[in-house]
Amino acid sequence: MLEDILSGIFSAGTFNQMLRSATPVALAALGGAMTEHAGIMNIGMDGMILMGAFFGVLGSWYFGSAAAGVALVLVMGVIVGLFFALFTVKFRSDEFIIGTALNTFALGLTSFLSRSIFGTAGTKGNPALPTVHLPFLDAIPFLGRVLNDNSLFIYVTWALVLVMWLFVYRTPYGLWLRASGEKPETLRTAGIAPERMKWLASILCGLLCGLAGAHLSLGQLQGTFAEDMANSRGYIAFACVIFSKADPAMAYVAALMFGFFDAIGLRLQDYISSDLTNTIPYVITIVMMVYVVVRSQRKKRHAGKRLPQRQT
Amino acid sequence: MDKLKKLNWGYLGSLAVSVLLAFAIGAAILAVAGFDPLRAYAAMAEGAFSSARHIGDLLEYAMVLCLTGLACVLGSRVGIFNVGGEGQLLLGAVVSCQVGVWLGSFSPWIALPAAALAAMAVGGLYALIPGFLKVKVKVNEVITTIMLNTIAASLCQYLAKGPWKNPNKNMVAATAQLDPRLWFKSLIPGSNLSTAILAAAVITVLTWYVMEKTSKGYEMRLTGQNPRFAFFSGIKTDRLVIGCMVISGAMCGLVGMFRVYGVEHLYRSSVSNQYYFEGLTVAMIAGYQPVTVIFLSFFFAILKTGAQGMELTAGVPNQIYLIIQTVIIFCMAAESGVFSSLRAGAQRRKAQEDIRRKEGRDHA
Repeated sequence: MLEDILSGIFSAGTFNQMLRSATPVALAALGGAMTEHAGIMNIGMDGMILMGAFFGVLGSWYFGSAAAGVALVLVMGVIVGLFFALFTVKFRSDEFIIGTALNTFALGLTSFLSRSIFGTAGTKGNPALPTVHLPFLDAIPFLGRVLNDNSLFIYVTWALVLVMWLFVYRTPYGLWLRASGEKPETLRTAGIAPERMKWLASILCGLLCGLAGAHLSLGQLQGTFAEDMANSRGYIAFACVIFSKADPAMAYVAALMFGFFDAIGLRLQDYISSDLTNTIPYVITIVMMVYVVVRSQRKKRHAGKRLPQRQT
Repeated sequence: MDKLKKLNWGYLGSLAVSVLLAFAIGAAILAVAGFDPLRAYAAMAEGAFSSARHIGDLLEYAMVLCLTGLACVLGSRVGIFNVGGEGQLLLGAVVSCQVGVWLGSFSPWIALPAAALAAMAVGGLYALIPGFLKVKVKVNEVITTIMLNTIAASLCQYLAKGPWKNPNKNMVAATAQLDPRLWFKSLIPGSNLSTAILAAAVITVLTWYVMEKTSKGYEMRLTGQNPRFAFFSGIKTDRLVIGCMVISGAMCGLVGMFRVYGVEHLYRSSVSNQYYFEGLTVAMIAGYQPVTVIFLSFFFAILKTGAQGMELTAGVPNQIYLIIQTVIIFCMAAESGVFSSLRAGAQRRKAQEDIRRKEGRDHA
């Protein structure tokens, strides 16, 4: 019995599922890393993902092609990013309120439009993103089965992780972006407005979260939209961002960890109620958050007596 | 005092403008989606007040919004955001329901208090987790509470499908029904309104009193505004924050019990449809002021009941309600943002003028 479970868990299928579950979270976490570097606490990612998921399906349905869906998502991503920055950067509103309101707004808008346009709470069977077959992977025994035949965006995400990492750590823009969150006044002295970098971060976050949603609806679920389908992934992505200290590469690793536990949960459904296994990734996320904070506190243990203060 | 009154007028003005703007934007969205906005709003107004039954539903919903909104205010007052009310509500609902099923043969005088205590205990304990993590370990409570929401929803689903499932095979994902003797008496026949609203009124007044009229309430405000100062003034801030979080959770658990004993009479997921988040939104619009929360609960309950009536008569999806509610928040945030940036701009211009004038004087 235990052997069955273990061999089920450590199969190629599980690791493939890990990749699938991790990708939407990873894409959103890449976006969250940008706003985090710019010093914006972004808990509105869940709504951004949901908007991406809906407008991807809407574009795909209206124009009859998944590529058009992705194009619409990119346009909407920029708009949502601008909208978010307008409030958090220009108007200096409370980030918590705006993030929460954005999530609820996205839920209301997508459900309303879905019911008005499709007549039901959801839609399925719209043109979807292709899966990619890489012939050279067939030769590799275990990894080949894990890595091959996945939805397009899983491979796009790898490229994006690299691009975003280079952007943050190897370009002047990345330096300014990090400075806009850490030392905004120093950046201003250097002649660059930190607000401008915050706007950029917000737009990038809108784009990447939109792509996360598009992958969810057009890639993973093959052209399906369901109400509230982001399913708290935006918050898990936020946890990944904090876990990785907004390093895109580490954020991807954190997302993989989430994906791994999600995949294990799916495996265990044969033995335990799916309602219980569904909770595993969320419990892990809490454990992850606690671990991050404890780790960082251990580092500054000698910083003196602990005083009550708001944590960031 | 004068200053407070002035502020309130500013708030009311901004609220009124935001509500009007939100309805205008809602009308635009309705028009784009192919509905007649005027007809939709007329159906909304009619839907809220058309019958005694709707008014009963409206009052019940106002009760839910008011209690969840106050639970949110209770946390934010001391600087902790309880976003996990939804999970606390669901757990309170399922546990209080099962306690009622177990004690079904006892007198209501024993069973009801036991169920209420159970609901409050489970809601409070579930809020203790993020409260403790926030205060003692300094883990961001927004993420933990959201995660705990999803976990609680799955757990309740598991309990309703598994160990505590309804003996009737046709009832899927629902617990056993309560004995009718334990139901809260209906105040308007056919509606959701039950005697629970009387208990809710008492809790509301009590919460308002503690927050606004006692020294504890003052300590809470101080802790939320400046935790370091409060700590050095001798307030046990850690204990206060955790305590407020637990009470906030207990209130949410109790709302779950009210929903089960007043409306559903068994546990199923329709006990709450993200109600806590709507209460949270009300609290945000109210600027976390208890009295404003109470008044706004009625306003948004009218809107929501109206939106549901509108869906039935005019075929417009009721989610337009969520859109209008959140657009109000955006409008209020935008207004204060525009005003403060205008003010900053005016100050900058004035400063520049001063410099120019000074320079002119120096040259002369």
